Amino acid sequence: MSMESTRSDKSAKRSFNNNRNSASSNSNSNPSNKKKKTSQKTLGVAWGSNSRSSSRSSFSNSPFSNFGSYMVEKNRKLQNQFEAEASTSSHGGSGSVKPIFDGVSIFVDGFTVPSSQELRGYMLKHGGRFENYFSRRRVTHIICSNLPDSKIKNLRSFSRGLPVVKPAWILESVAVNKLLSWVPFQLDQLANNQPKLSSFFTLKRSSVSNSASTHAPCQVNPEAEDSSLKVGTSGDTYFSEVSEPFEHRKQISRESDDLVNENSNASLVEETAGSSGKPCEVAMGIPSNIDAEDESSVKNDLQSSHYQPTALVSSNCINNQNMKGSPSSMVSEPSNQSHSTLGDPNFVENYFKNSRLHFIGTWRNRYRKRFHSLSNGFNCTSSNIKASPLKTAIMHVDMDCFFVSVVIRNHPELLDKPVAVCHSDNTKGTAEISSANYPARDYGIKAGMFVRNAKALCPHLVIFPYNFEAYEEVADQFYNVLHKHGNKVQAVSCDEAFLDVTDSEGDPQLLASKIRKEIFETTRCTASVGIAGNMLMARLATRTAKPDGQCYIPPERVDDYLSQLPIKALPGIGHVLEEKLKKQNVWTCGQLRMISKDSLQKDFGLKTGEMLWNYSRGVDNRLVGLIQESKSVGAEVNWGVRFKDLKDAQNFLSNLCKEVSLRLQGCGVEGRTFTLKIKKRRKDAEEPIKYMGHGDCENLSHSTTVPVATDDVEVLQRITKQLFGSFHLDVKEIRGVGLQVSRLESTENSKQGLERNSLKSWLASASARTEELCKNSHVAKESSNRGCEGEGDETLGQLCGNSVGLSIQMDSNTSNGAACLNEVSVLPPLCHLDMGVLKSLPPELFSELNEIYGGKLVDLIAKNKGKTENINHTLSAYSHEKIEGAMKEGQAARLSSMVFQNEIPVENKAEQHIAKEVLAVSGAESFVPASGLKKTDLIPSSLSQVDTSVLQQLPEELKVDILEHLPAHRMQVFSPNVLLDPTEIPLEALGTKTAENNSGSKDFVLDNNLWVGIPPQWVDKFKVSNCLILNILAEMYYKSGSTGNLSPILQRISSVSLHQLDAFQDGWDEAMYILCELLKQYIKLKIELDIEEIYVCFRLLRRFAMKSELFIQVYNIVSPYLQALVGENYGGNLHMSLKD
Amino acid sequence: MAGETARILVEFLEVAITSIVFLKGVYPSGAFERRRYMNMVVQRARHPQLRDYIHSTVFGLLPFIQKGMVERVAVIFFNTDGIPVERFVFKLAVNLSYGSKVEEADLEFSLRSFLIKLSVSESLTKVLPHDYRWEITAYFRSLPEASANKDVEQWIPTDTRQWEQPPLLTPIKSMSSEPLCVQLYIEHPSLSEPKP
Repeated sequence: MSMESTRSDKSAKRSFNNNRNSASSNSNSNPSNKKKKTSQKTLGVAWGSNSRSSSRSSFSNSPFSNFGSYMVEKNRKLQNQFEAEASTSSHGGSGSVKPIFDGVSIFVDGFTVPSSQELRGYMLKHGGRFENYFSRRRVTHIICSNLPDSKIKNLRSFSRGLPVVKPAWILESVAVNKLLSWVPFQLDQLANNQPKLSSFFTLKRSSVSNSASTHAPCQVNPEAEDSSLKVGTSGDTYFSEVSEPFEHRKQISRESDDLVNENSNASLVEETAGSSGKPCEVAMGIPSNIDAEDESSVKNDLQSSHYQPTALVSSNCINNQNMKGSPSSMVSEPSNQSHSTLGDPNFVENYFKNSRLHFIGTWRNRYRKRFHSLSNGFNCTSSNIKASPLKTAIMHVDMDCFFVSVVIRNHPELLDKPVAVCHSDNTKGTAEISSANYPARDYGIKAGMFVRNAKALCPHLVIFPYNFEAYEEVADQFYNVLHKHGNKVQAVSCDEAFLDVTDSEGDPQLLASKIRKEIFETTRCTASVGIAGNMLMARLATRTAKPDGQCYIPPERVDDYLSQLPIKALPGIGHVLEEKLKKQNVWTCGQLRMISKDSLQKDFGLKTGEMLWNYSRGVDNRLVGLIQESKSVGAEVNWGVRFKDLKDAQNFLSNLCKEVSLRLQGCGVEGRTFTLKIKKRRKDAEEPIKYMGHGDCENLSHSTTVPVATDDVEVLQRITKQLFGSFHLDVKEIRGVGLQVSRLESTENSKQGLERNSLKSWLASASARTEELCKNSHVAKESSNRGCEGEGDETLGQLCGNSVGLSIQMDSNTSNGAACLNEVSVLPPLCHLDMGVLKSLPPELFSELNEIYGGKLVDLIAKNKGKTENINHTLSAYSHEKIEGAMKEGQAARLSSMVFQNEIPVENKAEQHIAKEVLAVSGAESFVPASGLKKTDLIPSSLSQVDTSVLQQLPEELKVDILEHLPAHRMQVFSPNVLLDPTEIPLEALGTKTAENNSGSKDFVLDNNLWVGIPPQWVDKFKVSNCLILNILAEMYYKSGSTGNLSPILQRISSVSLHQLDAFQDGWDEAMYILCELLKQYIKLKIELDIEEIYVCFRLLRRFAMKSELFIQVYNIVSPYLQALVGENYGGNLHMSLKD
Repeated sequence: MAGETARILVEFLEVAITSIVFLKGVYPSGAFERRRYMNMVVQRARHPQLRDYIHSTVFGLLPFIQKGMVERVAVIFFNTDGIPVERFVFKLAVNLSYGSKVEEADLEFSLRSFLIKLSVSESLTKVLPHDYRWEITAYFRSLPEASANKDVEQWIPTDTRQWEQPPLLTPIKSMSSEPLCVQLYIEHPSLSEPKP
């Protein structure tokens, strides 16, 4: 483009940017240079194909062999010019100006204020360099005010790892006359105005020699494979490191142009605990599935192994290479962007992956999966034993500083040293201590404290990162021990549980020491135990027992114990309540007892008041083992939330929805109410002290309720998007987002893919559902609406619940089997089975059923080959579905269950469904099959033979069917004329040819009523016929759903090619005759009440007639008969013209 | 029982007849307003006289329907000579002896299908001549005794002429379920009918 202009000084300025040109007039460079400056390219534009090709042609006769050499020459010239100017300008300016930009070489990208020319002037003046063309080798800083999105996204390829700085950096540096750190001047779009986590900042090699850097390299990577030393330069406050990360990390580390501020902070590890208490709050603790966790841990393993070679030991971290995410890896962990929602597409996922609260929250589900049978089993019995509160002995077991103990159990040398767990150990960091051991607590270190404060209190504090795998392992061991000693265990958290040891023999205190000993032996971590008469007191006793001790509060000592207890110690009393009480001058439980229940309830509400009143007296009626059903499921992220634009926010929301959806599915629930919570930065709020924290925020929330509960991620996303829209917020102000789902309903079993994978969980979930059923009948109703499957489960569940009551899965299995065997004894009688259903059963299921019926089924099938359809169409379709559902379920269960005997429950279940499906139909309807059978065998020849009471109880359609048949009978009996009539007409039509047949089959017509019975008699006749078309008709009868109407059958036939049907000769006459007969009888049947049906049939027939000889004849024979009957009944003719 | 069925039937007839009148475009469409009946959109006459005519006619039939005397109810479109051009016939059969409870919902479900079918049946009908009239005619199985009921007196013998030839029938919809059986078909003059 403007290549030409740069070659010749004479050529006119052709610039992209007028602003720049006008601004350039202010610059102190000479005019000839200006022209050259106009050729300055913005990156990315420079080497467009156009310019290249055009330049190539223009260079063909130039002294330059190619474009490259031209550019080299040009750059050299520009450099010379710049240097010449620099010398003059520094001469022209005061000679005393210190070259503040020594070693700095800038490249200006795009429009800037001040203009690139002014900047160039400053660089000239102050010893810096100004590059017209970007070069990774010469440029040290990129100056720009604004970047297009595409460049932001591809920052790496754009900046090549160089810092991208605002022009203000140069101006201010000039103003204070020294080189300022560029970090605060980093481009807004990149920096987000936050101090960034570090990474290595590498300078080009030349800058090492050039720079007057005062910063000595702190550390040299021993493994540096590359001779080039990368020196991080920075302001005084930053420490630099020399390192050579992996080859493939190099770019990233270059790109991450932040200074080392909190260097070990850098990683994907998330902060969880926040300054205000809970920045990340796992609204409810039930997780996504375990697979995902496993996967993530695998990933982490990979990562850590990956990073190990780089191992830079920073500060006082020792020995944690075996942990995932060692500090070194954190350091080399790339872009700081992944710490915020900016730029990290997987932020949400990573966030929860690394969140401790998430771990705790999701642990419960893990626990339930693992110990479900146990805890559930005792649930059934626990309610029976509640009555005697006097003798109860409740044990509260709590691991001592769990998160620390687990991590240091492999480091006995640290046992009495102060240790804390935190995801980051940077001494200056604002990461929060999540747990500290007792020696550390002696220094005043508490959970929730910033690392830097903790380090100030205790400089030799050792900080470990989380080790979630170890936590899981220990928690499992912990619960194994507990479950061994008592079957009534209520898990509170991964490290804390209640046991009801009322039933246990022996002294609870002895038991407690035994448990503690075992816990220590298996986990190498200590636990404390509190024993008392109820859960509240047990918990308080643990307080006294800690650390590594046990405490028993006998009932008579409760009052003493409580009287001096600070109110804060009571569970349920938090900051707010405490403050309120303190205002009333209540400091201890003893003082609290002075207040009457009424006034407590008046001040604090009914529930809280009562709780306070009870607790202050050591009264706690909660029962061990009651599992609180979750009221809501949700996820919230309050750390690292920074959005650049709406798209960011939407993307984040959709990820959050995915997470929530996974959690919902994990819990097996669906919700109806969706609440979106937003933390919005207060107008006057400063950047939070805590790195990437949310700071001072307004909490906003909107919610919506949908009619149908869902856990579908797409629905969630849609709802969330709407909710988000209703906030009308500037996304840049958002500091935290949470989505909560409430009004939960349990997911249908059919949808519970995960849980349904094993019979075990199936049984368990069924019984769980039964429990739920009691509480929430409408849920159950809904589930039963959705099909018999649910019903079946519930029944099974009930069976389980009633007959099992035992805690062990095996037991419940067998007893379930027994329960089902009972079912077997009430198998539906053979005649109640729907043949259609039986036939469509898969072979294996059928054979099982057959066994149960002692082989009678096969006979039945054989016998009923054609006469099966007893129940009307809708009914059979319905039951068919149900059976299929049952089958699927049965198969699924069978697949997963290894136990052979499980097959019994499965088939029984299917059986039960059949039984159910028959019984589900009302009493009257269940009579249907029988009456249907009766009809086939002994058709009542007239209405008088039919029991009217039976008739009236029949469902509509059946009754009509019967009534339709009966008049036909009567006709047969009373009006032989009508019957004789039809035989007359074909005779005429066919002439002598058919005379023989007709006379031969007269008896046949008289004897048979083709449309009587279910299925109608003709179906059987046609089936065995040797005539193709008749066979097809019979076949279509079944295919069309066996409604007993002709039109669906004919409609089906219309899809069959009729041409070939004529290709037979044998039995043509017979076929035609019987078809005519069939139609005539049908007309007779329907003419009075359903002319529409006849009309449809005949229009179809007419269509067939256009293709088939046979049908032409049939049509011609029957239609006069039809018209005659229509005329008789309606006083007109059917309008059958071929026009329409 | 029969009373309830008859009431539903009469109500249905009112709506169906209005639909037919609307379908044939006897009056400008502005003369009708959309209403919901049996959970579907139907038309209702806005003009009080028209509405009243249809209403009073079919409700006048109610006692006879209850007695099972009404065989057919026809909406007849005829030209200025009184010669019918098109007749919409409802053939009714009410089972009076039906004992058990009528499921109103089931009945309505069946009747609904008439209205649905009717709304798409315009192609089956004939374009009416320019100047024509219409009336509702009921065919009784037997003539009611004049003195028996005052309602009877409201009914007058029709002067609409009959076709000389049997008409052509185009069934629109049939419904046969206890205790009610309704069939709707259109009658057109047969092709051999002498043209007026």
